Amino acid sequence: MKTIYKKELARIFKDKKMIFSVFLLPVLIMVGIMALVGNLATRQVEDIENHRSIVYMINEPDSFSAFLEAADLNMEVNTIKTDGERENVMDLLRNGDADLLIEFPENFDSMIQEYQTGDEVPQIKTYYNPSEDYSSSAYELISNQTLEAYRQTLLSQRVADMNGIQIFTVNSDNKDMIVQDDQKASGKALGMMLPYFITILLFAGAMGIGTDMIAGEKERGTMASLLVTPVKRKSIVLGKVFALMTISGISSVIYIVVMGATFPKILGGDSGLDIEITPEQIAMIGVLLVAISFLYSAIVILISVFARDLKEASTYITPAYMVVLVIGMMTMFTTSEAGMKDYLIPFYNTALALKGILTSEVTMAQYGVTLVMTLVLGGILTAVIAKAFESEKVMNL
Amino acid sequence: MNESVQIEIHDLTKIYKLNKKQMQESHTKNPKKTAVDHLTLTAKSGEIYGLLGPNGAGKTTTLRCIATIIKPSSGEIYVNGNEVQKNSEAVRKSIGFLTSDIKLDPQFSVDYLFDFFGELRGIAPDQIKKRKEELFTYFGINDFAHKKIKELSTGMKQKAAIAVSLIHDPEVVIFDEPTNGLDIITARSVTDYLRKLKEEGKLVIISTHIMSEAEKLCDRIGIIIDGKKRAEGTLAEILEETGTHDLEDAFFEYFKSVKGEA
Repeated sequence: MKTIYKKELARIFKDKKMIFSVFLLPVLIMVGIMALVGNLATRQVEDIENHRSIVYMINEPDSFSAFLEAADLNMEVNTIKTDGERENVMDLLRNGDADLLIEFPENFDSMIQEYQTGDEVPQIKTYYNPSEDYSSSAYELISNQTLEAYRQTLLSQRVADMNGIQIFTVNSDNKDMIVQDDQKASGKALGMMLPYFITILLFAGAMGIGTDMIAGEKERGTMASLLVTPVKRKSIVLGKVFALMTISGISSVIYIVVMGATFPKILGGDSGLDIEITPEQIAMIGVLLVAISFLYSAIVILISVFARDLKEASTYITPAYMVVLVIGMMTMFTTSEAGMKDYLIPFYNTALALKGILTSEVTMAQYGVTLVMTLVLGGILTAVIAKAFESEKVMNL
Repeated sequence: MNESVQIEIHDLTKIYKLNKKQMQESHTKNPKKTAVDHLTLTAKSGEIYGLLGPNGAGKTTTLRCIATIIKPSSGEIYVNGNEVQKNSEAVRKSIGFLTSDIKLDPQFSVDYLFDFFGELRGIAPDQIKKRKEELFTYFGINDFAHKKIKELSTGMKQKAAIAVSLIHDPEVVIFDEPTNGLDIITARSVTDYLRKLKEEGKLVIISTHIMSEAEKLCDRIGIIIDGKKRAEGTLAEILEETGTHDLEDAFFEYFKSVKGEA
């Protein structure tokens, strides 16, 4: 087993190209993608902020024009008067060539000034296109914020004591309104993502190497050279499973370390995650990762054993990857507290446990059940693989 | 089992189950194909036994059954007293097996693979080194020992595969068409080495369809056609039985008689 294990590791570590493609390339690609996405998102926000909004107004009172001018907003204001022009502006909004239309009622100023109790309250109508980012931004800034400020200004002119009509405020002077355990909160955020990433890293890391290790060797005829030696089939299987575990484990550790180091920078230095993990949590995650990588390696090798060649193995393994991935993602959308029976469900339990470790919500019993379930399932699959190795039909002999 | 006999095959039958694709390729509606049909033979140490037959006759299947790569459907095979199914590990320890289906890992060098298979067979490092010197020198492998298998020519690969299969100095050597695809010089070095093994008292079993090779190399010959043994004996015995002057003519006599049966 040790000899097989060493050879499988040598296959990767003696070849610079393999080291690059297995350990570095995925990390570089992911960091590159994240950097690109982060950069594009930042540019998009900046572009929207720098955009000079194109706003059309109908019947705007002088007071509002003056208010806008004083607010010094980055916008181009156009006044329209006729119904024909209004229709044209509607078309411009639909096409994304205009951002906002503000329609005041006629004689808006006099309606405000001559208002008597029981009179109709004047209504300002705004029109925008929510599928256009510029338009949505203009709506938020002008329709929601600026018009509200304008309303408050007019209200202060009508009512001497603003506090008299305010009745109450909510959290206007309450700096301590947020009551949370910061570690648990950051753990929750991380716990949502970690099972998903772990699944991607461990399973995807094992996929390429694992299929080549078994289906590739069958296809090339090199597996038969091992089978004519007096080594027990079980030892060959275990050597390969443990080698795959090691490779996918190293790959995921490199991945997590690089992502951890580069993520805050990629996200502009403030990721919003104040992540603090205790040594106990690291140990629990570490042991669980070993068990998960054992299970995933066994799955990849089991599928590869029953495939006749690499192409078939790749075809079989994709649906398995999707299933494991979806189960890993399920914990992202689970709000109810997990019970012991949830920790008996393979794959789902590991995602739950990872999340639970980070939020300090998992009990030792639940963690233990998850660990045992994962190892037992991995062990059963390994036994099935060893049995399959005895079959000349399965091994293409 | 007679203790002086190293390989004894009793009534060996191997039947393959065909899938739909294989049935279509073989133009048959029968989902079973009998590759070896009630074959019995014995081979002793200190001889080169040649299995002769056309493609698909069952030669390779017989050798693979002896090497424990595949399981017989019925019958028994003993190698040095060990039954291949009951004591497959002991059988694999005592044989050196080589077939064109078994390849060396193309990503590694001959040198690495020699050490790897030596370690896998539990041979001590100093013994591996000694065998490496001996075999690499004999087959002229030292010149390309550190090249990866994928960088080698067909002849070099075959030499490497032979060296690796003999690392444990086996008592029984089973080579399936060992000179197939080799140039005349490399083929000669291989057949010379097989003679050397015989002189050392080893049992060598080869399969071949090259009549001249069998004539020159084999002490005894077994002719297999359609999975059945049609003849067995020394070259002289076979020529006498068929009344022919060379093995090729003798082989065609047997072949015609089989087709006549059909």
